[in-house]
Amino acid sequence: MKKMIQPIFQRYWNPYLVLLIAGILSAVYFGLTSTVWAVTGEFTRLGGDLLLLFGVDISGWQYFDMVHLQGATWNRPDGWIVWGMFAGALIMVLLSNSFKIRLPQQKRRYVQGLVGGIIAGFGARLALGCNLAAFFTGVPQFSFHSWIFIMATGIGTFFGAKLTKTRWWKGKPSLIRGNAKPTQLKKRVIQPYVGGTIAVLYIGLTIYFFASGQKLLGLGALFGLAFGILIERGQICFTSAFRDLFLVGRSIMAKAIIIGMAVSSILTIIVISIYDLTPITQIAALSTFVGGILFGLGIVMASGCETGMMYRLMEGQLLFLPVFAGNIIGATFLAYAWDHLGVYNVLVKSGAKINLLDTLGPIGAISVTLLMLGGLYALTVYGEKRYHRKLTIKRGMNVHAN
Amino acid sequence: MQTELEADFTLDLRGESCPYPVIYTLETLDGMNNGELLQVITDCPGSFRNVPEEAIAHGYKFAQDPVKNGQEYLFHIYA
Repeated sequence: MKKMIQPIFQRYWNPYLVLLIAGILSAVYFGLTSTVWAVTGEFTRLGGDLLLLFGVDISGWQYFDMVHLQGATWNRPDGWIVWGMFAGALIMVLLSNSFKIRLPQQKRRYVQGLVGGIIAGFGARLALGCNLAAFFTGVPQFSFHSWIFIMATGIGTFFGAKLTKTRWWKGKPSLIRGNAKPTQLKKRVIQPYVGGTIAVLYIGLTIYFFASGQKLLGLGALFGLAFGILIERGQICFTSAFRDLFLVGRSIMAKAIIIGMAVSSILTIIVISIYDLTPITQIAALSTFVGGILFGLGIVMASGCETGMMYRLMEGQLLFLPVFAGNIIGATFLAYAWDHLGVYNVLVKSGAKINLLDTLGPIGAISVTLLMLGGLYALTVYGEKRYHRKLTIKRGMNVHAN
Repeated sequence: MQTELEADFTLDLRGESCPYPVIYTLETLDGMNNGELLQVITDCPGSFRNVPEEAIAHGYKFAQDPVKNGQEYLFHIYA
């Protein structure tokens, strides 16, 4: 029994397998609910909820109308996707005895997290989605805006990666001569029992939703739980997909994400055909590109994107409290700027919703999507090899110097 | 209990989130003399996998397998 439990709870899972499952689940979720796995829409609604709480009159804010700010977060399916993800991540962290309050040694990280979060939140909402609805679940919906967003995110991340390597940004680590003492281990292990208790309570709540006829809430809670478990156990990091390719030539996350999207695209087009569903399409406009660049830059500054910050917070990485706050602030400010500062008129109005299914038909859409994903995969492999070729040359020069 | 290795330097990266553990580790190794031993202490779960994998990908060798110490990992890497 112990030998079976250990790989599941004690070790991190293979990212390829995790993203394959996540891709399948998001296609299934779409089939069941006609909506996609997404979180920033709910973050924006939370921002609206907060404004209401502070007595701000947000009636007439076009953006909140657009994201359907109604009810409370616990009455919204998208709300339960978010809380389910938090719950799923927390349960797995506790079951694996991994929770620990982790505080950055360098205070600048808090500022970086907050500012990065604001930029990422603003950019994501400007583009009408983050790494999920404008990327991982946007591509399988054949919404052309996702491809603009991916390209822009890559650009933003590139500059973000440059920033993280500057001395004033990254700061100095604690480097000492000789050995240092690791933290003393606690004898009692109670986290798994807490995790198990929370799991039982959460599953009970989910069953209640279904039993009381609130099917969409139940599905949100159930799939949110699954997504949260997957991203924490896989340490899925959309930020690192681009960033680490640039920083250290690391490609595993990018490859896994691409494969997950490919499988999800195939399943989604099948689901759309069988159930005659309408794919979810967002406006492709200058806002998509600008939003993607800001998002790519912001997530690197913040050390994590919307989904990454959620499970890291559950691990006890308190840096992601200001990151989370920043995201809410950024999304809320965008909601204000949309009509009050003319963002919509300048960046969005002239755009159009473009879905590859409409423009190319189903065969064309899936073919082009898989081709572009293949191209992205090839670019990733090339980027990795190019990095390591440079490294080899550099090492060769060092050898000659000695 | 592992025999404690005598490290020349220790990077205490507790509390540091990605990507800094891998950046700091690689930069520190790059600045050390050949054969010197670096100990890395990290509690960022993302670094449990990417620090050892990238250290190896960048040509460095481990003095011993990574040690899991509760919610932390210890790496011993030769420059």
